[in-house]
Amino acid sequence: MIYADHNATTPVDPEVRAAMAVALEDSFGNASSLHQAGQEARRLVERARAQVANLIGAQPDEIIFTSGGTEADNLAVLGAARAAGRERTGVVTSAIEHQAVLAPCKCLQEDGHPVTFLPVDREGRVELGALADAAKPDVALFSVMLANNETGTIQPVAEVVKAAAACGALVHTDAVQAAGKLPIDAKSLPVALLSLSSHKIHGPKGAGALFVRRGTCLSPLVLGGRQERTLRPGTENVPAIVGFGKACELAGARLVADARRLALLRDRFEAQILARVVGARVNGGQARLANTSNIDFHGLDGEAIAINLDMLGMAVSNGAACSAADHAPSHVLLAMGQSETEARSAVRFSFGRDNSDEDIERAAELVVRATTLLRKVRS
Amino acid sequence: MSERIAIAMSGGVDSSVAAALLKQEGHSLIGVTLKLQECHDAHGSRSCCGVDGITRAREVAGLLGFPHYVLDCVKDFADLVLAPAWREYAGGRTPSPCLLCNERVKFGILLAWAEGLGIPRVATGHYARLERSDAGRPALLRGRDGAKDQSYFLAGLSPAQLERALFPVGHLCKPEVRALARQHSLPSAETPESQDACLVEPGQSFAEMLRKRFDAPARSGQIVDEDGHLVGQHDGIHVFTIGQRKGLPAGATARRWVRSISKESGQVTITSRADELVGSEFFAKQVNWLDGELPVQARPCSVQIRYRHPSAPATIVAEPDGSLRVTLQTPVKAITPGQAAVFYDGDRTLGRGWITLGQHV
Repeated sequence: MIYADHNATTPVDPEVRAAMAVALEDSFGNASSLHQAGQEARRLVERARAQVANLIGAQPDEIIFTSGGTEADNLAVLGAARAAGRERTGVVTSAIEHQAVLAPCKCLQEDGHPVTFLPVDREGRVELGALADAAKPDVALFSVMLANNETGTIQPVAEVVKAAAACGALVHTDAVQAAGKLPIDAKSLPVALLSLSSHKIHGPKGAGALFVRRGTCLSPLVLGGRQERTLRPGTENVPAIVGFGKACELAGARLVADARRLALLRDRFEAQILARVVGARVNGGQARLANTSNIDFHGLDGEAIAINLDMLGMAVSNGAACSAADHAPSHVLLAMGQSETEARSAVRFSFGRDNSDEDIERAAELVVRATTLLRKVRS
Repeated sequence: MSERIAIAMSGGVDSSVAAALLKQEGHSLIGVTLKLQECHDAHGSRSCCGVDGITRAREVAGLLGFPHYVLDCVKDFADLVLAPAWREYAGGRTPSPCLLCNERVKFGILLAWAEGLGIPRVATGHYARLERSDAGRPALLRGRDGAKDQSYFLAGLSPAQLERALFPVGHLCKPEVRALARQHSLPSAETPESQDACLVEPGQSFAEMLRKRFDAPARSGQIVDEDGHLVGQHDGIHVFTIGQRKGLPAGATARRWVRSISKESGQVTITSRADELVGSEFFAKQVNWLDGELPVQARPCSVQIRYRHPSAPATIVAEPDGSLRVTLQTPVKAITPGQAAVFYDGDRTLGRGWITLGQHV
């Protein structure tokens, strides 16, 4: 099988697996216990925390482990909005965020918070004019993703930081898709909050983190013990955290070389598709993640293409994996001004470090085959 | 010969075994579960269309080694099955939604969807058989298991739809199906019967559920007895069906049935005289005919007037408007407008029409 759905999830790296196996076998202790078994688990958790911090140029004490990206996003949005004072109730986000950000924003809206959903241009980039208009003194939080999960389009988060600084608001960025694909440096990108997920970077599922810059006020969503500076109580999932840490270390070490190679593979893939499939068009503009190709197959149904490719032995996605049982067209593509029909004709290809040069050739071949078959049925 | 087949999987034992049999024959399968209602609507219900069904179908597909997809038909199901069903209840008739679902959704939407994927055939776990003669036109036969036979529900399929259908368990009896499920270690081997479960929610009448869903007014009115005496009031004609005994006001005589329902006056007439319930003639309209030309001369056959009806001998003849005049050899009880009448020649399905008592409706 050719796996081309890395934005949904990635295979666990063998080195990550090995590190987790050791943790599972040798370190069952509760990281909060006083005895040596506990101390050993604590040591592993703290080493992982440093590895995660290192990937984004943060300090280890700025990393809060969570159960994953969704929880990190929820903690950032709800936690920051609830911790803000009465004069600051506003939240500004974008129309193309992941549901893990959109859903808590809508929840705040129902609770009476003024929430602004920034529009994007045809390429899926947040509109700077609207961003400037949204920067008002009552805004508590801006939440704009670093790169979009469906199109890979990189967002102007540096501009968001400037706009937020002008009105004294915090900035959260969902970096779940960007991590490991773009260099991230918390020192040069002064956001207050940043979400990460382990399984998108060849780590295990069930682990994620929220970067919380020192001095940022946040309310916890889960109440209990004193773990994770009381922002995320609960006994630490040590093996998953260990795997996440290792995955961050590997991602950091390989980032530049991986991104360069994946960009070449992706460009070759796109060139082949555009040359061989009539009506194909790439969504999302030029400034995209190196691994992501969101392609509009004009006149065909994206879901039908994805199913045909699956039957031919290639895993891709039409839209985000979270909406698999939901036939609604992508909210991201709709926000980019596409019609429902256009949005339904898109397929997302997302490559990863386990894809070879041959995979790309074969992938293009299979796409040509699947789309040709579907066109034949249509006519 | 190996074929590409889409198998409609509810997660229940019949469609799971159907899949196992096709797989065993070496076909290239994809499993499809139709999502017919929103997850939050299905919450807590053990419906075949809910999340449990999807999960179990996917488990079975994984076990048998073929891919499984979910086809979202929520809107189609509401438009093509539920809305027409409500129109029947609102008109004082009793709908047959399972037939509509097969005609319009399983062998309508799903068939078209499979075609879009280049898959020519759709299989289901129905207890019915198809006999393909050399002439090409497939004959729809009753399932081998008389107690489970579902040809009644499929009798509205056109020859073109039947051409592309497969019913792999139609030649089996239910105990054999369960045994095969155990043999293949299918997780659905012991699941309860799911038939009709798409529509029924615990503790609620289907008709009342539809009324609430479409936010429709109820046609309330009087309940009168056979002599025209008022015996009570009711909250809506939609909850009554011809021949019904339950839910009627208690009277001097223990056994009373619904004899007729009037949409115009909202009046429900009940009777304690069983002979008033029987009839020997009705019309079948919007006929789907599977046996060549409609009979212009009286033709003997047997007719089944509801799913759980053993079928009765009758003669049928086509009317000028394309409906069938049905004359029963012996009068039968509770001929119910809105229900499907399905005609048989022995085991072979001749066609179906919708029961109406007057000729011009």
